[in-house]
Amino acid sequence: MRRNPPIAGEQEAIDKAREGDARSFEILYAMHKRRVYSLCLRMLGNVAEAEDLTQEAFLQLYRKIGTFRGDSAFSTWLHRLAVNVVLMHLRRKGLPQVSLEETLEPSQDDGPRKDIGARDLTLSGSIDRVTLERAIENLPPGYRLVFVLHDVEGYEHNEIAEMLDCSIGNSKSQLHKARMKLRDLLRTGQRKEQIA
Amino acid sequence: MTVIRALDKTMTCTEFQDALPELFESQADLTGHEHLKSCENCAALVRDLQYIASQARLLLPIHDPSPAVWDHIQQAIRQDKPEPPATAIRK
Repeated sequence: MRRNPPIAGEQEAIDKAREGDARSFEILYAMHKRRVYSLCLRMLGNVAEAEDLTQEAFLQLYRKIGTFRGDSAFSTWLHRLAVNVVLMHLRRKGLPQVSLEETLEPSQDDGPRKDIGARDLTLSGSIDRVTLERAIENLPPGYRLVFVLHDVEGYEHNEIAEMLDCSIGNSKSQLHKARMKLRDLLRTGQRKEQIA
Repeated sequence: MTVIRALDKTMTCTEFQDALPELFESQADLTGHEHLKSCENCAALVRDLQYIASQARLLLPIHDPSPAVWDHIQQAIRQDKPEPPATAIRK
């Protein structure tokens, strides 16, 4: 994982929250709510579910903060906890893409196309954040999970394979297909804009 | 990797694109790849995929949950008890 610099006042809030101080727990919530919620939203693509699971992640934090031993940065520990909450939720819903490796594959219709001989526009330098976020939302769930975990959140393939109970090769393959599919989605969007 | 390098001068687009996941993972500099020197289409593909990955790394968490989420957490905490704190934190 990346992007977890120390936050001023965090350690004090952790220490006090471990002792049951409600105000300190609120401070930890304020520090990390945006990152945890954004993670849930990107993994799920659904506001209501993302809010439910943000709530669940922080409740688990409240219950488990006494078990945080400082082996990793607190934010790393909390975000892994949030990822696990989302994955548990997906498994409970029975979505196969996080339980059976062979069914990680989206349907043929959802998959990326090989790009042979299609010489038109390229994307470089032309995609804004909102457009990319929207394209990620439109990825098939199996692709979206791996893409968000690897390219956005910075997890390594071995970590993703462990989390999703699939092989490292499968994680790599899903990531490549996700990027290819995103390229399709982004180029299609550009063509529509040009026509309009 | 050795096999890929040996073949890259005669690679078709399909072969190159099949090898792309491993090429990306090896973090090799693809700009000098023989196939890309003669194939604008695959060169554009590589540029786009690298661009997508680099833009994804720049995505920041910008969404805030609604205030109701904290209200629900507080309600649940009132009905909950924390686990006893661990004896020591390694710093």
